[in-house]
Amino acid sequence: MVYGYVGKVLRADLTRGKTSIEPLNMDWARMFAGGKGLGAKYLYEELKPQIDAFSPENVLILMTGPLAGTTAPCTAKHVTITKSPQTGTFLDSYAGGYFGCELKFAGFDAVILKGKAKQPVYLSINDSQAQLKSANGLWGKDTHETERLVKEELGDKDVKVASIGPAGENLVTFSCITNDLFRQAGRGGAGAVMGSKNLKAIAVRGTQGISVPNIDKFVSLCKEVIANDVLKSPDNEWVIKDGTPAIIRMSNEAGILPTKNFQSGVFKDVDKIDATAIKKVLVRRRACYSCPMACGNITLIQDGPFAGTMVEGPDYETLVLAGSNCLISDLGAIAKYNLLCDKLGIDTMTTGDVTAFAMECYEKGIITKNDTGGLELTFGNTEAYVKMPEMIAHRKAIGKLLAEGVQKAAAKIGKGSEDFAVHVKGLEYPGYDPRGSISMALAYATSDRGACHERAWSVGAEAFGKLDPFTTEGKAQLVAGTENLYAVKWSLIVCDFYAIGYPNMSRLFSAATGWNISEDELKLMGERIWNLTRLINAREGFVRKDDSLPKRISKEPLPEGKAKGYVVKQEDFQKMLGEYYKLRGWDDEGCPTKEKLKQLSLT
Amino acid sequence: MPKIAILADKCVGCRLCEAVCSARLVGNFNSAQAAVHVESSLPEEALIRPFMCIHCDEHPCVNSCPVSAIVKNEETGLYGVDRNLCTSCGACVQACPYKGIRLAPIDKLAIKCDFCNGQPRCVDVCPKKTIVTI
Repeated sequence: MVYGYVGKVLRADLTRGKTSIEPLNMDWARMFAGGKGLGAKYLYEELKPQIDAFSPENVLILMTGPLAGTTAPCTAKHVTITKSPQTGTFLDSYAGGYFGCELKFAGFDAVILKGKAKQPVYLSINDSQAQLKSANGLWGKDTHETERLVKEELGDKDVKVASIGPAGENLVTFSCITNDLFRQAGRGGAGAVMGSKNLKAIAVRGTQGISVPNIDKFVSLCKEVIANDVLKSPDNEWVIKDGTPAIIRMSNEAGILPTKNFQSGVFKDVDKIDATAIKKVLVRRRACYSCPMACGNITLIQDGPFAGTMVEGPDYETLVLAGSNCLISDLGAIAKYNLLCDKLGIDTMTTGDVTAFAMECYEKGIITKNDTGGLELTFGNTEAYVKMPEMIAHRKAIGKLLAEGVQKAAAKIGKGSEDFAVHVKGLEYPGYDPRGSISMALAYATSDRGACHERAWSVGAEAFGKLDPFTTEGKAQLVAGTENLYAVKWSLIVCDFYAIGYPNMSRLFSAATGWNISEDELKLMGERIWNLTRLINAREGFVRKDDSLPKRISKEPLPEGKAKGYVVKQEDFQKMLGEYYKLRGWDDEGCPTKEKLKQLSLT
Repeated sequence: MPKIAILADKCVGCRLCEAVCSARLVGNFNSAQAAVHVESSLPEEALIRPFMCIHCDEHPCVNSCPVSAIVKNEETGLYGVDRNLCTSCGACVQACPYKGIRLAPIDKLAIKCDFCNGQPRCVDVCPKKTIVTI
């Protein structure tokens, strides 16, 4: 009897139009838990190194965790794992909602897709059965329309749908996969990989159960964890009260709120996009499966040119990267932009960052109205701003270049624009400026999918906590330790917004599976998983120089706020990076050593 | 007689009610087999709410059942489905104005809240106090 997991993997060979079912590799599950770790293991074994991310040979994996679909709090997310077309690295991108749980109710822990369909198709999964169906009538449709049409065709409103929009079809490198309308596997372009395979959507419906060894004991444990930790810990208070917009003020006060394409860390109109502003347009809160916190804010814009826009969000990263970073303070415009990105199927974070980058190019005269299709693309110009998602998703005018992300766009545009393309490995920076929270420079540099804030949110302990945000001391340790913890969280999968520690992860994982998993074993597992994704990237050719620091962050001091005058000096950054490699047991190029791999049972 | 009230404005759609309900009814986690069902009308409207039997006084489901499969628990005074008698005809589903009874997807037999014979687990677990007893 398999507990926690449901014990099966669905495979689809899109080239041959065939599906098959096999048992989940339980030896791997014991070593890598699920989610990130287990998906990375399958990818490591099955991805041919150095292939193009859009090659039919690329592998697209949807993986759940052993707690999804149970009463374990905040465990609904599933992960999409593939080689990223945006960065060329390992990619893991998480989405909440209900889709992952439904996949387990349908009898599958994972779906592994390969090949390329001759015609657009969608994969329909229904209680251990799977079928590839024609998606000719869906191609070109946005994600909300696709979800509606698939439910209609299958005649079941309880079907859960993950789909791509026009952007994914057009291979925009930061296309996302949208499920349950407003939940996205956002970063890194998993949606474009789907598009390259002519796969428009995955629909899933399940009526089977997930078993645990002792269900009464398990439910009691979950209720205790919810009451005594999730709803009680001060670390989760902000999630329950406001959701992610709570962080806007914290970042602004710390002087690290990206503003005007990272030219400042302070936004003068912050009160127009903060949690109080969101409260004014809030309709209701929304949760993922099994989450008692409900971070989602469903908002409805009441007046102005964008009246009637309803969206789940905007969340912190969207408010920042598509808000302050573009000097946009009109919440209605940000909500509209968010909704457009969701429906067209592009990541709001990267879309915001590339828009800000293009605005700076325009203001500096590097691009002109000839490039922008006649748009006056200045910072803060709402009218031009809301046209960008459509231009990017359909690769119109400058959108054609921006669809490749800031790294490749800057390489083509040139004229010094590389100096203000703020990214690591081609993934644009998230919403925390390291010049006022230095550990984030290391976290972005060593993140396995390019600049990501969710591999080590060390800003919490640093700029928002007690640690000095300007010194390198102890930061390598902080980042490495947090990465290991998050690697376990992302494998079990527990949502990043629940500040769970090793003790409760050990209790929930053990109770769900019947295995006895100690905290020490989890710590080792986290390190093992982090080394595995590093191995995948090393195999793709990534070395020390790719763990980089953007020029703007190292050369241009912040002009105002708490971090005024600060940069992250290249020498300080290299010092942290060296300490980090040493701590990790990696060589000078950042590659895991044989001894380390042996210690982690990775050879 | 105790009743269930649903304060729909408070629901966030976490579906913990479904999870604990299925745990009791079928012994595993299986939302489709729960007697409570959360529905949403997004993106058209921002409505999210659970549907379940509120144990109304009129109980049209009882009156509609041609085989008297919805029977009173003499101890609690509340009605539950005798699944041995149910013939899957669906008359109760048609009769109930609250969407409080439905046919389970697997065996197609009627499924309805029986108040957990005293202490409803959904009421206990609901983090936003959407489902309450009155």
